Amino acid sequence: MTTNAKDVRKTWEKIADYFRAHSIWMKWYCTGCGAIEMPPTMTSRFDMERLGMGPMATPRQADVLLITGYLSAKTLRRVIYSYEQMQDPKYVVGFGSCTLNGGIYFDSYATMTRLDHYLPVDLYIAGCMPRPEAIMNSFDTLIKMIEKGEAKGWKHYQENHEWYRRNQLHSLKEVYVKDEFHE
Amino acid sequence: MTFDIVVILMFLGAFSAYLISKASLKAGAYATTVFSLGALAVLLMGRSEIGSEFSVLFMNFEVTVIGWYFSGVMVLVYAMTSFFNSFWMDKMMYPGSYNFLYLFSLAGTLGLFFASDLITLFIFWEVVVWSSTFIIPMGKSRRAAVVYYTISSIGSMATLYGIMLVYRISGTLVIQEAFVPLKEDPLTATVVFVIFVMAGLTKIGIFPFHIWLPLAHGSAPHTFSPVLSGGLVKMGAFIAYMSVAILPAYEAFEGSLKIMGIPLQLYFLMILGAISIVLGTLMAIKQEDAKKLIAYSSVANGGYILIGILMMDQLSFAGSMMHLFNHAIASAAAFLAIAVVAYRTGTTKISELGGMIHRMPLTYLTYLIAIISLAGIPPMGGFVSKWLIIQGLADRGLMFMALAAFFGSIGSFLYVFRPLAAVFLGQLKPEHEHLKSEPLMMKIPMVILMVLILYFGVLPKWLLGIIGEIQVAAGIEPVMMSGNTILAVNGVLNTLNVFMIFGFGFLISLIIFLLMQKSRRVGLMDTYTSAEFIYTPELYHYAGAFYAPFERLYQNHPSVEKFLGAIAWKFHELGTVVNALFFSHKPAVTVFWTSVILVMITLGGAGI
Amino acid sequence: MNLVNFAYGLLLLLAAFVFQTTLTGINRKVVARLQRRRGPKFYQQFIDIFKALSKGSTTHGWVFDFGVIMALGGIMATAIFIPFGPLKAVPGMDNIFIIAYVLAVGMLGMAMSASGSGNPWASIGVSRALTNMLAYDIPFMMVVFGLIFAFDSSSLSGLAAIQREGGLLGWNVLRFPLGGIVAMISLQGMLGKKPFDSFIAPAEIASGPMVEYGGRHLGMLFLLHEYSTFIEVSLIVHLFFGGGATVLEFMVKYAVIYTFLNLVSNVLPRFKIDQAVTFFYKVPLAMAVVQTFLIIFLGMGVA
Repeated sequence: MTTNAKDVRKTWEKIADYFRAHSIWMKWYCTGCGAIEMPPTMTSRFDMERLGMGPMATPRQADVLLITGYLSAKTLRRVIYSYEQMQDPKYVVGFGSCTLNGGIYFDSYATMTRLDHYLPVDLYIAGCMPRPEAIMNSFDTLIKMIEKGEAKGWKHYQENHEWYRRNQLHSLKEVYVKDEFHE
Repeated sequence: MTFDIVVILMFLGAFSAYLISKASLKAGAYATTVFSLGALAVLLMGRSEIGSEFSVLFMNFEVTVIGWYFSGVMVLVYAMTSFFNSFWMDKMMYPGSYNFLYLFSLAGTLGLFFASDLITLFIFWEVVVWSSTFIIPMGKSRRAAVVYYTISSIGSMATLYGIMLVYRISGTLVIQEAFVPLKEDPLTATVVFVIFVMAGLTKIGIFPFHIWLPLAHGSAPHTFSPVLSGGLVKMGAFIAYMSVAILPAYEAFEGSLKIMGIPLQLYFLMILGAISIVLGTLMAIKQEDAKKLIAYSSVANGGYILIGILMMDQLSFAGSMMHLFNHAIASAAAFLAIAVVAYRTGTTKISELGGMIHRMPLTYLTYLIAIISLAGIPPMGGFVSKWLIIQGLADRGLMFMALAAFFGSIGSFLYVFRPLAAVFLGQLKPEHEHLKSEPLMMKIPMVILMVLILYFGVLPKWLLGIIGEIQVAAGIEPVMMSGNTILAVNGVLNTLNVFMIFGFGFLISLIIFLLMQKSRRVGLMDTYTSAEFIYTPELYHYAGAFYAPFERLYQNHPSVEKFLGAIAWKFHELGTVVNALFFSHKPAVTVFWTSVILVMITLGGAGI
Repeated sequence: MNLVNFAYGLLLLLAAFVFQTTLTGINRKVVARLQRRRGPKFYQQFIDIFKALSKGSTTHGWVFDFGVIMALGGIMATAIFIPFGPLKAVPGMDNIFIIAYVLAVGMLGMAMSASGSGNPWASIGVSRALTNMLAYDIPFMMVVFGLIFAFDSSSLSGLAAIQREGGLLGWNVLRFPLGGIVAMISLQGMLGKKPFDSFIAPAEIASGPMVEYGGRHLGMLFLLHEYSTFIEVSLIVHLFFGGGATVLEFMVKYAVIYTFLNLVSNVLPRFKIDQAVTFFYKVPLAMAVVQTFLIIFLGMGVA
């Protein structure tokens, strides 16, 4: 009986994952210069809508948080806030080398060099900046990952929430900052 | 014999409420509830005695169907509102007098609706006007009472003059007989009609006599606004009905110019009704005070009622009669909901409130159901009546009235939604964090009104049956119903089916909702803020100038208030000139006038 | 009213959903082609809706949930009243005023839920949507008023049948061309398509009323959108294009009108909300009044 119920749930999840994979609504968190690569990806030349992808207005509606550039302390707080407002299941895509290792700002005092210390990144797109071809290619990968149920970053974040929170607090002192300009 | 007892008992009740208030204020307030509920019970039980006549002292009464219907509406509103009286006893300056005047005005309206001769009618009209004039200044403003009394006295004087005129022509004051000779004389009939209807217009708040409504409703005590809007305004409708039906206007104006089958005199009044709808809607949209907003909506709804009454046909008239009831209970419910908010927070300004639903959910529901009915959305009562009015207008092809009716209908979504969004929904202000829920005594009338609004929207058969009787008495075809289907000439409406299908849709929607994953509850401040951290709920609330882009389109409108204000100012200036010329304390002026008079006397003497 | 009616109603709802959602998908493809893109799969809209329904969601209190349920329930109820071509779930209930007012239940529910989220952007969006409604509904209702006066019937199927008697020339859009134009412009407003889409402006007020919705709430709002589109376009098909003697005829007319409006929408910019009101009261309302005047006082086109 229990195994049967588990199987049904699995099938249900599989179907849901198919839908999730082929309808990717993104919240573009455009922090740096990377945002400029999104318009060509969206419009006639590369046409991301044919894969079922599209931009959304708020994190509540979105499935993917796309962070396109370097993260300062202030930005990271807002990225985390936005991420926590999103609905499960949610995926994070780090865009460009800034999110990977700080990019050309790696030695700045205010730059967070590695996004995946703070948020569960499902996929990185390398490059400074990655061209639309690279973006399309990596989203193709993301679609396959979601379809197979491999993009489990959101679950990882739930399970290891303490670890993430500790890292966030270590770098930011406060995530939900009260009075930012006098801290 | 029951009705004379009611009228007398209400007057005695008024005095005894005053005396009880002297002993205990709360008990006095409860006495108003007991007496008005008693009156309601007697009215409902005495339905079989419609048609009986009686006299008290020199005053003669006759219980007609329409009188019974109107008094039922009135007593219902009074009874429901009276539950709130006890909560304001310690806030009023003269609570004992309030209790007295509350019942006294109710007794006055009952007498008015049952009056069978014109003098009785006038006496009770004055009773109502005077008693309400003294209640209104117990609220926020004395000026409101002055304006109310001024406009009311226009109505009173008009009625008095009309009564004298009718008496001179027909030699009798009995309502049913006094107007008979007028049918032969269209010109006098027009004069009498205009005079009487003007009294009705002043009370119902039709343009250009609408200025007292927002002032008086907005600043009357919170417990009296529902009565003003739901009840007393309907007196105007009664007078308007009398002038149209008893005169009877359609027969008297048979020979005058007709537009789409409507005599010009009536058409002109309909235009005034249409203007009231548009004006009431536009003004309600821009109000910043919840009570004033509902008051302006009463102006708009008064327009609907007037147009329907003037039509005197099968559909619109029935719609108008039903709308009168629906508007009475819905606007009373809305005012009561606002009164609860005012009781707990001490303000009715929309921008100072917010998130009340989290503290008083029942009040929110009452307001919601009331406004659904006010806006004429199914399955509430307001829908049936507006549907009837609009079907009637479509049948006659009165396109400009229909234009106003549509504007008022859609516009009402705008203004009724505004307190809903800004007072009851949205962010709860920190200072309202610890508000208590509504007291039990306030819940009772709100629940009753909610049930009534919904009931007559789903099963209007009983109500429309009474209205059919009124129509038969007025000599027009009654509204047709088969089962729960209202049969109009150009369409049918089965309210029960509408309700059932609505319920069905709701059920499917609920099933979809429940089948999916459970939601995570988050706080009101955890919203999308463009990832900004915000900790000031009082600023994070969209309440003031809600429809700013739309309001901007008509911000420089002409207004009757400004016009009347200008006249008043000119009059004042004239007075100043007269004062300066004749009543000055300066010796020079005295010397001047003395010498002028002396010169005139001398010259005049010389002339002789 | 018995169980059979409800069963028919359920079937009609399913049919309307499949039809309209497919059409939305095809239209996304058409628009893509207009912009020289390949565009999504034609069943993309289904994927989007089911995905949204399958996700988790957040709620801001009971009114946030209740409003969504009330909105979808109200709109579904309205959709049941609409005749699908010649098919009617409940006979005798397709009175135009009933439909116009039941439709408002859905609007009110959604507005209530959106404001209940506590997000001021939602309230701003609602205030714009309601203002928009005040603008487009009055010209439309005026024209409808004229039609009811002309044919002495306010039943959708009745009005459609009267038109079909006169063949192609009997269509109201040809009998009353001014009214037809007004209705098409108003329909553009009802559907919230450009140039009258300022209430959901995503870049300006973060999609207005939709700002706080995600997961099942958003999925239900998408369903609501499909149904309200179905209701509004069907109204025009029945009132001005002769409805449908067969289901196929109805669907073809429907698809053509919807696609046409979508194409118009995609080449236009956006009005500010006060511009939209001014526009509606200057042009379509004047046309509607003239049209109604012609019908009522001169009897033009009624015959």
